[in-house]
Amino acid sequence: MKAIIAYIRRDEWSPYIAGILLGIVGILAVWISNSLLGASGAFENIAGLIGQGIAPDLFDNVYFNFIMPPEITSSVYLLVGVFFGGMLAAATSGTLKWGKPDAANSDTQWKSIFGQQTWKRWVIAFVGAIILEYAAGIAGGCTSGLAISGGMLLAPAAFLFIAGMFASGIVTAMIIYRKRY
Amino acid sequence: MSPYVVALVLGVFFGFSLNKAGLTKYHKIVNVFRLTDLAVLKFMMTALIVSMSGLYLLRGLGLVTFPNVPATYIVGNVVGGLIFGVGMALSGYCPGTCAAGAGEGKLDYLIPGLLGFLVGAGIYGLTYQQVFPAISEIANVGNVVIPDLWNLSPFLSITLFALMALLLFYLIDRAGLHRKDRG
Repeated sequence: MKAIIAYIRRDEWSPYIAGILLGIVGILAVWISNSLLGASGAFENIAGLIGQGIAPDLFDNVYFNFIMPPEITSSVYLLVGVFFGGMLAAATSGTLKWGKPDAANSDTQWKSIFGQQTWKRWVIAFVGAIILEYAAGIAGGCTSGLAISGGMLLAPAAFLFIAGMFASGIVTAMIIYRKRY
Repeated sequence: MSPYVVALVLGVFFGFSLNKAGLTKYHKIVNVFRLTDLAVLKFMMTALIVSMSGLYLLRGLGLVTFPNVPATYIVGNVVGGLIFGVGMALSGYCPGTCAAGAGEGKLDYLIPGLLGFLVGAGIYGLTYQQVFPAISEIANVGNVVIPDLWNLSPFLSITLFALMALLLFYLIDRAGLHRKDRG
């Protein structure tokens, strides 16, 4: 028992053990609630809610009215759960960043390659996040909703998406890391 | 139990696994693309093999019916993936891992990440009519799964997937190690 608790408290698990946990979560999502895991869809729901709040005319379109309704869907609850799951897991290993000096620019590899400036990390991350969400819309889901959830059902869409993601991820990393790739 | 409570609890375990696998760290994501750390791939492939086996077994026993299968429209899935990879290499996260990292208190996840997703979602929703119907029409095979599409047994499909994953790990590991030797 002690050994299990000690393992749970480790900062990083073996990817195989963590993968088994995620696999079980994926099975339970289908078994208990006949639904799939996902993340990008929840942002569409929330964006619709906010958008219809500030610019009702602009956001009064087919997409936000019918395809991704502006509601607190169960995907939004799942996403909130993911937020607290990350918090809980970091708490078990004592690696929470709330209030820590490196919370704003959290990765040492980033800093050693691109410098200490927080604004730089934030601008690039912000642009990256816009690209991610837009791409998930085109592809029909993100890493969770398409790659994992589609993959576990053996949907070809998932494997096409994963192939595209790795191909361009490798090329992009080569370009931004240049000699340090 | 309310479906919302179920979703919330599943989300907690999902976020927990993302953190413990190291996916809420910028360098873990980007180093897969640099071929120097395959942990993220091993995590994803393990999750897929476990869930595939479990779900097809449960379906074979008649205990589950599959929810709406993500649609395959070849060009859109690939192009979406290609654009997605750029965003992932730039930011070092994806929508799910960013939410978990935000919960850990990483402000570079919480603020530019979550805001960026909302902005991206807004732009997508506003341009949806101009983009999605056209791209999803090309080479659209529908909401299919490989065993039905190619008339393969699920068992064989999963075994082939596992073998391909192992081969991929082996090849990438070799490529990565050679590159490090040179460097």
